[in-house]
Amino acid sequence: MHEDQILVALVGNPNSGKTSLFNKFVGANQKVGNFSGVTVEKYEGVIKHRGFKIRIIDLPGTYSLTTYSPEEIITREYILYQKPDVVVNVVDTTNLERNLFLTTQLIDIEANLIVALNMYDEIEAQKTEIDLDQLEKLIGTHFIPTSATHGKGISDILDHIVDLYTGKINIKKNKLSFSATMEGFIERLANILSTDPELSEKYSPRWLAIKLLVSDKDVYKLVKDNPIWVKVNDILMEALHTTKKEFDSDPELMLKEERFALIRGAIKETVKFAPKKKKTVTEVIDSILINRITGLPLFMFFMWLIFQMTFTLGNAPMEWLQHFFDWLGSAVGEIITEPTARSIIVDGIISGVGGVLVYLPNIMILFFALSFLEGTGYMARAAFVIDKVMHKVGLHGKSFIPMVTGFGCSVPAFMATRTLKNKSDRITTLLIIPFMSCSAKFPVYVLIAGTFFAASEAGNILFLIYLLGILIALFTARLLKSAVFHDDSEPFVMELPPYRMPSFRILVLQMWQKASIYLRKAGTIIMAASILIWIASNYPISEDIKTEYEQFRNDVTLSDKYNEDEKAATLTKLELQEAGKQLEYSFIGRLGKWIEPIVAPLGFDWKLGIALITGIAAKEIVVSTMGTLYSLGNVDETSQDLHDKLLANPNYNKAVALALMVFVLLYIPCFAASIVFHREAGKWKWTLFYAGYTMTVAWVMAFITYNISKIFFL
Amino acid sequence: MISRISYCGTDQKGKIVDIDGGIGAVENIRSLGLEIGDEVTVRSRQNGRGKIHVVKNGTEILIGHELSTKILVECVEQPKITLDKIKVGDAVKVVKMGAKGDIRYRLLDMGLVKGVKLKVVRVAPLGDPMEVFINGFYLSLRIEEAANIDVEIVKIHKGNGHSKKRWGLF
Repeated sequence: MHEDQILVALVGNPNSGKTSLFNKFVGANQKVGNFSGVTVEKYEGVIKHRGFKIRIIDLPGTYSLTTYSPEEIITREYILYQKPDVVVNVVDTTNLERNLFLTTQLIDIEANLIVALNMYDEIEAQKTEIDLDQLEKLIGTHFIPTSATHGKGISDILDHIVDLYTGKINIKKNKLSFSATMEGFIERLANILSTDPELSEKYSPRWLAIKLLVSDKDVYKLVKDNPIWVKVNDILMEALHTTKKEFDSDPELMLKEERFALIRGAIKETVKFAPKKKKTVTEVIDSILINRITGLPLFMFFMWLIFQMTFTLGNAPMEWLQHFFDWLGSAVGEIITEPTARSIIVDGIISGVGGVLVYLPNIMILFFALSFLEGTGYMARAAFVIDKVMHKVGLHGKSFIPMVTGFGCSVPAFMATRTLKNKSDRITTLLIIPFMSCSAKFPVYVLIAGTFFAASEAGNILFLIYLLGILIALFTARLLKSAVFHDDSEPFVMELPPYRMPSFRILVLQMWQKASIYLRKAGTIIMAASILIWIASNYPISEDIKTEYEQFRNDVTLSDKYNEDEKAATLTKLELQEAGKQLEYSFIGRLGKWIEPIVAPLGFDWKLGIALITGIAAKEIVVSTMGTLYSLGNVDETSQDLHDKLLANPNYNKAVALALMVFVLLYIPCFAASIVFHREAGKWKWTLFYAGYTMTVAWVMAFITYNISKIFFL
Repeated sequence: MISRISYCGTDQKGKIVDIDGGIGAVENIRSLGLEIGDEVTVRSRQNGRGKIHVVKNGTEILIGHELSTKILVECVEQPKITLDKIKVGDAVKVVKMGAKGDIRYRLLDMGLVKGVKLKVVRVAPLGDPMEVFINGFYLSLRIEEAANIDVEIVKIHKGNGHSKKRWGLF
């Protein structure tokens, strides 16, 4: 057994089958983490091959090694600074020209490179022939045919990694040779750069020279403060001048064009393409799925399907979990007799854990569906179909799916923004999701609209509430994009990959990874928060109220004015009244009373204040809190008693009802969602903005609603 | 070379060689006083999808955008046109990449360099973005992004006008 560990990085274009290959290498034996400082997921696994430990890192899919996206920067910096022993470039062989562009950049950076010609089985099936020896001679690295779907070439790659590491084979390090003009500049620059000991120790001078010519910002910064900069700058200026004068171009453009010309030449010499079939499967599918007439309805149908699957299909296991925890609570409650301990364990811990786990079915189903869409290639088409609408508010087509998911639950919706690569697109989408009315707010609307409005009006009011949410979301997106980020959405330069059937194993694996991220990170905090909220709504306990009600109960029990039935009814009533009084006395109750001046302009009294605060734990709690405050015990949105109580309160009217619904629609999502938001947004700055913005918008809109509807209804 | 009259710029001369459309289109064009074999000069054109003004033997004729895409002309010089104006099915070659900033790098990295050939495959149901076939793969880009790419015509795809063909799959 060798002690050393071989560090291997997988690099490749998106859709090159890199992830499938990674899964073939390491199986379920993998860890997910994040690259430090960014929300790009990092997958890694360790395997043993011929007595060597090989640690494989799956770097994010990227088309190039410039610095225009986090994926590119991560890949480049990983190769530059972690210096993996071997870099395996996974290439989609059916699309060599574009894939080899990255390969040539990896050659420039002088990585210890081998190329996995993935999807080689598809090439063979097409009867396209590739002269591998000649390709190796021209490009200058080793090409190994693989097929992730059939598990072919896996051990070849591993053998190669070990042989390369032990020095058994050597890879000739070719240089791509550009045109005489450009080579002249590269050579002169490299010569000067190699005189700087600090730079030439860390980086290849040739790579630095090429990067300077393509005006790479990061390399500029590296070189700019060195004494050699003056000389370097002179040559750069000369290059700019010469290319402009002689070719009406610039160094960057010329190098890229030459790079593609080199690749095209190599492919022409080595690949014998099979005659193209009349129509590929992808073309046939696309002519239906993104057809001008059927494209949009089919897109809507798929979105509806995902939504239904997530929230209708997910509802059953969600209820089972709920029942299970209810059962567990009562079972445990019978065992523990000490009232405070029982309360902490049953109402605090068990319902806290339950509160975290109930979202799990939704998250798993949604991410299975999203992985499926991504894996088949439809996700890119979905963005293609809806991009025009999203682009109007400065967003990318891909923002649509997280937004729609927000109508179900913000927790998975926030997590679904991971598909967005551009940072400002992602933060903007995260910030507008709270306004897509989530399903937990629905019971509140039903209660309030059903109480204060006729059945015929209630439907319209519900519709207006949802519409207001969408409008505020779109307005917010526009505002953030123009006032905060000052940039347009990510360019829509996007590949529409060929349709492929994703492997079920990988889909399940990805689903489980997402679920475990949620459980591990969010779970602990959400649970702690639920317990804290429970404490805040149960403590302190007023001994005075307790004694007072005990006295009442004694009076009733001893009294002979009532018969047995009346006695029981009165006792329950007293108990409920006591619960209401105790809630009023608790920390949350005091907070609700304390904020009354803030919510008073909206027409709300302290009872609504308390209900709204408890709503931060979970939106549907707003209804049950009102029940407690009106001493009604267990109530839901259809409870007739609660209707009557609300109608009987002279402070409440249609204007207050509307303002309340608007406030519930717009104010900060529940605690679980907010914690997931913080995790996804990554910075306290955004979480604070999120809290402040949703609260402000809710207050302002509720204020406007209250005052306008006062004119109409009062 | 063959082009659509809608691709031609001001003062460009051409000879009508074909109509890319059904009998209706042929009749419409005839009713404007145009025939196959006519020599026409483009006088002026409105921006975007506007009408086009042509001159035939001193007579001025105004052609609507949709109809003008159906008139195929033989031109001496390549029309100066950008990718966003190209009709579905036509093949073009990139002459110049005029995009700036982030988009420029993305386009270049995807292989949209000078000299590369591409075919417009389709436009999204809502009219934006568009999809092109380039170097063996499908790429989508927004119309506004395509507007910065100068192209020349490689091949006009005849038969877009036939509505029958569109339904062939069903």
